[in-house]
Amino acid sequence: MNIKHLKLKNAMKVSSLKKKESRLAYRFIFPTALIVFGLVVFPAVYSIWISFHDVGLKNLNDVYHAPFVGFENFKNVINDFAFKFQDWKNAGAIVTSIIYSLFSTILTVFFGLIAALLLNRPFKGRGIARSIFLFPYVAPVVSVAFVWRWILDPRQSGVINDVLMRLNLIDAPRAYLSTRGLALFLVIIFESWRYFPFAMLMILARLQAIDDMLYEAAEVDGANHWQKFIYITLPELKYVLGSSFLLRLIWTFNKFDDVFLLTGGGYGTKVLPILTYEFSFKTFNFGKGAATAMILFVIVVIFMILYSKIASKSED
Amino acid sequence: MMMNYKKKKAMRLKKKNFIDHLADWINWRRFVFASAMIFFLVSVLFPFYWMISSSFKSFAEIGGREPVYIPEQLRMEGYDELFDPENVYYRDFGHSILNSLKVSIPTALITVILSTLGAYAITRLQFKGKNLFLNSILLIYLFPGVLLIIPLFAMLSHLGGLLGFEVQDNLPVLIVTYLAQTLPVALYMLTNYFKTIPTEIEQAGLIDGCTHVDVLRRITLPLSIPAIVSVFIYSFMIAWNEFLYAFIFLNSRTQFTIPISINTIFNDPSPRLNVVMAASTIMTIPVLILYLALQKYIERGIVAGGVKG
Repeated sequence: MNIKHLKLKNAMKVSSLKKKESRLAYRFIFPTALIVFGLVVFPAVYSIWISFHDVGLKNLNDVYHAPFVGFENFKNVINDFAFKFQDWKNAGAIVTSIIYSLFSTILTVFFGLIAALLLNRPFKGRGIARSIFLFPYVAPVVSVAFVWRWILDPRQSGVINDVLMRLNLIDAPRAYLSTRGLALFLVIIFESWRYFPFAMLMILARLQAIDDMLYEAAEVDGANHWQKFIYITLPELKYVLGSSFLLRLIWTFNKFDDVFLLTGGGYGTKVLPILTYEFSFKTFNFGKGAATAMILFVIVVIFMILYSKIASKSED
Repeated sequence: MMMNYKKKKAMRLKKKNFIDHLADWINWRRFVFASAMIFFLVSVLFPFYWMISSSFKSFAEIGGREPVYIPEQLRMEGYDELFDPENVYYRDFGHSILNSLKVSIPTALITVILSTLGAYAITRLQFKGKNLFLNSILLIYLFPGVLLIIPLFAMLSHLGGLLGFEVQDNLPVLIVTYLAQTLPVALYMLTNYFKTIPTEIEQAGLIDGCTHVDVLRRITLPLSIPAIVSVFIYSFMIAWNEFLYAFIFLNSRTQFTIPISINTIFNDPSPRLNVVMAASTIMTIPVLILYLALQKYIERGIVAGGVKG
């Protein structure tokens, strides 16, 4: 009887301690949770709501009474000439977005892989080279985008024009960033220049973790460098290549600043994020903008599911 | 015999010039390695060289027929113009630097405080819904910023109307939106770090009657200075570099942060590129210095969580 009583008392004490602990924990995470859920999760859900309503500048302060319009916004977006594919000269935002993010990401991972292989073995100055390789990634996008524009300047004083004219490859200065096709190509090159260091770091971390025994065994079997790369290195890198590809694909697909600062979204570089911005903040049709963002988001979710599959596989 | 051979070898070595040495040293592997290395170094460094060197050119040099690859002397024309109090267009650049600091430093400080508390709760305390919280935080930094900008704008306008604050040109509003971007990764970085600290000392402290707050302040914090510094720098850099939200939320020149200010100067009808490059240099150099100083921690952060960018 007495012992039972004591046990009960103890159990109560423990459970009240636990309660105290979790109360403290909730207090600690509350501000973070409030900011993250209030400013990310709620707006994301709210965005779905806006995409089904007619929201403009006139009723921005009274959004909750905006009229419901069903799929009207989505229809408007899909039929918009800036969105849909007509021909390769007017590819529309959806096709442009896919081409832009797919090729940027492929090049990013490709250059990242080469840079990682360059830095994998020790040599004099490896640390410095590694630091320098990361510059494009850490530098502010505004300044690097404008330097690129200045290098690609349409006047004769632009570096690329000057170099190509000296090499007699062109006779007159060209406007690279305002030529259809070329502009998109240069945006893709810019993206891979700016983000290859990210892929490089991820691949490098994996490369350094490969067991040397594998290579030694292959050498015993008489494998050359190329065979070692194909049969050992690449399979070992499979998951990190896949996950860095998908991570970058998601972020590149969402990217607004880089393209906007380089071309302003003109000359065949209008990607979905820029279209979203234009619908919402140039024509102030927030409903249409939100509908565009939702289409963008659905595509991103598909990438995210693929990514989480790869991420969980690589943990096994 | 032996001596003779050595002498001959020494003589042969003396006669060799640079090209011969190169020819001896080179083989296919080295050639491919060196060319790839040079390709990467040149393409990474040239834009930075061009930015800094252009910022020290005069307007005549920059507007000339041909590009000036090596400026004869460092001219401060661009910088003088940028900070010229008489100049209507650029006179607010000093303000812009201040605004950027006013946004970035509080963002970094608040991020550090909140993510320390959060990471302590996640790694040291038991509570329901921990995994759900952690997983949803991780998912969040895959969310597109453009998706959030419209509802945020609408939501904050509405809230502003209710509570009586302006959404536009309000730096604290900008700080709060930046926190939503920095907190998930900061929390992730710190949680990973706290897991590596042995908990024996903390437990001893708890048994001695310290509260969790005491333990956090006296034991955990001093042990995690490097991680906290890197979270601070990381958040500072996010806020310092951010373009989209500032572009939407700031309208008046007096409230512009540096990126918006540079964008405005560049999009001037007749942009003075030496001034733009001077402003870009001022914005870039601190970031690169911070990065070089704390490279190890920042890289670890990039690999661990894939810093958003």
